[in-house]
Amino acid sequence: MKNIILMAFLCIATASLAQDKPKLYTLPSPFERYNYSLATIRFGAAVPIGQLSDQYIDKATFKNFSASLEWVLPNRLSIGGEIGSSNLQKRIPRAVYEFEDQTISAVQTRTLVLQPFQAFVNYHFANKNDRIQPYIQLSGGGSRVDYSLYYGNLVDQYQKIRPTYGVGVGSKFLFKPDGSVGADLRAKYTNTPFKYDYIDGNASTLNVSVGIFYRWW
Amino acid sequence: MKNQIISIALILFTGLLSSCNDDPVADLSSEESLVYYTNRDKSVDFIQYKTFSVADSILVIQNNRQGYSLTSIDKDMLEGIIANMKALGYTYVGPNDNPDLGLTASWISDTYLNVASIPISSYWGYGGYGYGYGYPSYYQYYQTQENYWLVNMLDFKNADTTKKSFPVVWNAQIKGNDIENPLLINTMVDALFSQSPYLKQN
Repeated sequence: MKNIILMAFLCIATASLAQDKPKLYTLPSPFERYNYSLATIRFGAAVPIGQLSDQYIDKATFKNFSASLEWVLPNRLSIGGEIGSSNLQKRIPRAVYEFEDQTISAVQTRTLVLQPFQAFVNYHFANKNDRIQPYIQLSGGGSRVDYSLYYGNLVDQYQKIRPTYGVGVGSKFLFKPDGSVGADLRAKYTNTPFKYDYIDGNASTLNVSVGIFYRWW
Repeated sequence: MKNQIISIALILFTGLLSSCNDDPVADLSSEESLVYYTNRDKSVDFIQYKTFSVADSILVIQNNRQGYSLTSIDKDMLEGIIANMKALGYTYVGPNDNPDLGLTASWISDTYLNVASIPISSYWGYGGYGYGYGYPSYYQYYQTQENYWLVNMLDFKNADTTKKSFPVVWNAQIKGNDIENPLLINTMVDALFSQSPYLKQN
């Protein structure tokens, strides 16, 4: 009889322990308690828009990628830096170009390489461990612009560092709750004021990217 | 582990950055690489000219040296010029028959020797003496060559008597990869004249 009572007691104790156990995990995760770092690599398409599309290159490119490093603060903000590259290119079949006293017949290859380096701030609309974390982004910095216009294989090249700014919307998707790895989807408008030859004021692109991120604390 | 992941990511990213700097015109065919330049004197009305003559050989200019050449490709070039001028309505005459216009064709081949310095000015591994080499920095040399065809149209009718020269009323240049290709010579000459409709007589 004593044994039965002891067994019952043990069962109850074990059950209560088992029920208590999840309480250990109700502590907020370190990602919710501390600042943490987050690195993202993104690939995607850059679509020229506005003057850039009307006057120089209207063809989208998939040679578009970036890497960013951010610090996620305990509130809903994160700040960081991002470098990237968009390589726009368009071939125009042989055509005749009239200048003042000169006529040139050539196959044109128009290229524009934008290599932005920007600081950004993100505002997140969800908690740090939510599986889906939408955010908006504001960014500003500079861009190394390489404008190379080829007539045949003869090039007119112009390189300049110009200011750049951008605004984006996106979302992070954690692969598992409280995990370190996830995906990032983002659509971002970027503008670089730039004036040379065919481009009369602005080089704007819409970047749509898919990324993968890793976070640690 | 975290640092390793970041390092690998950075290496991959750097690799991608460099892989996108391909030569954007590497895929151009020889014909596509050709660039035709024509320049004109806008104050000139070409209707006033009726006859023309063409120099009997190609002037070859190599840096400061020059000579004459008449290989088969040179002949094709001159014959192409004559055929195109005739098609535009001009009459071909001999050089002694008082032509209104004279056309010359040249092959320009300029070689440039460039110098760049290698920026090693001190032996950094040698103690703390702060001494540099006792002779200037190393230099490296590299050579670039530019070849092109040049066609000039001279106005014999309105010679500048004070300067004792004939005004160049039209000129053309052909640049590109493979401009010595005999198979492309007719395409090249025809292109020069077809992009200059103001030369037309009729």
